[in-house]
Amino acid sequence: MSADLAKKNRFARFVKRLKRSKPDYFLISAFIGLTLLAVFMLLPLVFIVNHAFKPINELFMYPPRFLAEHPTLFNFRQLFLNAQKMSIPFSRYFFNSVFTTGVTVAAAVLISAMAAYAFSKHKFPGSSVFFGLIIISLMFAPEAVVIPRFILISELGIMNTYFSHIWPLVAMPVGVFLMRQFIDQIPNALIEAAKIDGAKEWKIFYRIVLPVCMPAVATVAILAFQMSWSQTETSNYYVQVESLKTLPYYVATLTGGLANGVVGQGIAAAASLMIFLPNLIIFLLFQRQVLMTMAHSGIK
Amino acid sequence: MARVLFQHINKQYPGEHRLSVNDFHLEVADGEFLVLVGPSGCGKSTLLRMLAGLEDISEGEIYIGDRMVNYVSSKDRNISMVFQNYALYPHMSVYENIAFGLRLRKMAKAEIHERVIRAAKVLEIESYLNKLPSQMSGGQRQRVALGRAIVREPEVFLMDEPLSNLDAKLRVQMREEIGKLYRRLNTTMIYVTHDQVEAMTMGTRIVVMKGGIIQQVASPKEIYNKPVNMFVASFIGSPPMNFVSGKIVITQGQCYFETKRYVLLIPEGRRRLLQERYIGKKIIMGVRAENILYQSEDLEQEKHKHAKIETMVNIREHMGSDAYLYLHNKDHRLVMRVDPWTEHEEGQMLTVSPDMERVHFFDPETEAVIC
Repeated sequence: MSADLAKKNRFARFVKRLKRSKPDYFLISAFIGLTLLAVFMLLPLVFIVNHAFKPINELFMYPPRFLAEHPTLFNFRQLFLNAQKMSIPFSRYFFNSVFTTGVTVAAAVLISAMAAYAFSKHKFPGSSVFFGLIIISLMFAPEAVVIPRFILISELGIMNTYFSHIWPLVAMPVGVFLMRQFIDQIPNALIEAAKIDGAKEWKIFYRIVLPVCMPAVATVAILAFQMSWSQTETSNYYVQVESLKTLPYYVATLTGGLANGVVGQGIAAAASLMIFLPNLIIFLLFQRQVLMTMAHSGIK
Repeated sequence: MARVLFQHINKQYPGEHRLSVNDFHLEVADGEFLVLVGPSGCGKSTLLRMLAGLEDISEGEIYIGDRMVNYVSSKDRNISMVFQNYALYPHMSVYENIAFGLRLRKMAKAEIHERVIRAAKVLEIESYLNKLPSQMSGGQRQRVALGRAIVREPEVFLMDEPLSNLDAKLRVQMREEIGKLYRRLNTTMIYVTHDQVEAMTMGTRIVVMKGGIIQQVASPKEIYNKPVNMFVASFIGSPPMNFVSGKIVITQGQCYFETKRYVLLIPEGRRRLLQERYIGKKIIMGVRAENILYQSEDLEQEKHKHAKIETMVNIREHMGSDAYLYLHNKDHRLVMRVDPWTEHEEGQMLTVSPDMERVHFFDPETEAVIC
């Protein structure tokens, strides 16, 4: 009871103070402005979710509506029915995506972290040159390197294998950069203490460095996941065998030329939502850690 | 337990001309508590880090026991180290922090548990064993760091300014704790600090360093009472020793220390120690704050009759148990300790007299002590 009362009192005091003090117009306008911006940013999400539940006639309504008026699961049913009709089942695409994304995320995180640890805490000849190269590689648009990449993949002989989904994404300059910013913050004494305690390099890395930069690990994992999960590039260029292609590629074909343009819209909407949802879930799970990393690295 | 021998150690960082540690040669006896003290950048931490294996040795050899350890990795040197910023693993509980080193050495679980509990008991941190370092205060964290160091039962303890991050009160308390720990373990300890109070109170032997070079190695008492040069004299002791420059003159068979404003009689005993070649030469006199007398009954004594200085009280600093007067005599400044109950007002004239039996004389060129 007393806690309740105290809460009430505090609230009353707060209201009193609010009434007494002069209104801070900057704060109020910033609050309103940011709220509007947040709502605006939210619109696409609302649209994607609602679109998947719209019946066919609503999908093509003009002007388009954000909210589904008569929500239905028809599109999802169509997605699975359509998938069953094809020679390659939907589940195969799904498995390909989950598998390659899983391996990509794990490998990208591990390799970025190891590289970042070396750049941050070890001195070796040419380290600044190599780090410079990594930063420069951040500036290339993916389209610019499609052909060299294709040649590389083909020369490596990993065309038409799962590797061709994984390798191109494992080298992740952003990951190295973010992790390095984070590892830079770890005091050297921590690593030296572990050395004196008897840890060798690998032990220091996975018992001390990795756990301490968990927020950065989570951030890089999310970025790697988003890159890998929704990309169609590798399926388009490096894989000709249908059974090795990934889910986003399949979704893209639904709306593409060959498929039924009208029914395809509904299926595509449902499939888009299914591709989008894991992104959202993972981001919601790790968002605090991501914000921490961004604050550390000075990137916004 | 082991002795530590530094054999003519030099350290030069790449790209630097100056030696960070210059021909450091010293044997630390088994079970000794050695304190390395000096201003920042004097090479004391570098030396400790070389002993720990965290820094390469440019020249010379380091022995722990009878083993040369230049090329032995940190983990095999059987040492443990306490860092200034504690360096606790933030993601591990206190228990895991202390046990980490033992786990890496593949010790049996029961033994690990027993040792951790024993260390925790000694340091009175048993009730925090499940907490994370971030949930603890600075003093508690430093205890955990000490626990991590003692649990491995190393041959040598290294401490790199372990108390610098603590507030004044805790520092005094932890100073006592580390002293107790040392007496209990009786292991060789090498302790680095820039705080002369820590050095004076904790060490069995003190090494004063400056610019990578050893200035003096001696017991705390000897360092304080018989500094070998002006640097040691001013670095050890608070407030620092007063220095007055003047000249040695002989008039009517008596030896005097003469400045522009006053003349002080040098007693016969001191005079004999002063070498003849300083007579008529410039010299620097050093006198500690507690060796300046001011009470009239003292000044009446024979030996003070001819050693008086007229000064003005500039500032009075009350410390509680002591009070310090900052005295002015035109261009000369002196700090002296007085009884805190005496009343001295700022601006008041005061006649004082240094205890000429206890003053030190330094060569102005080499800054080395003469007597």
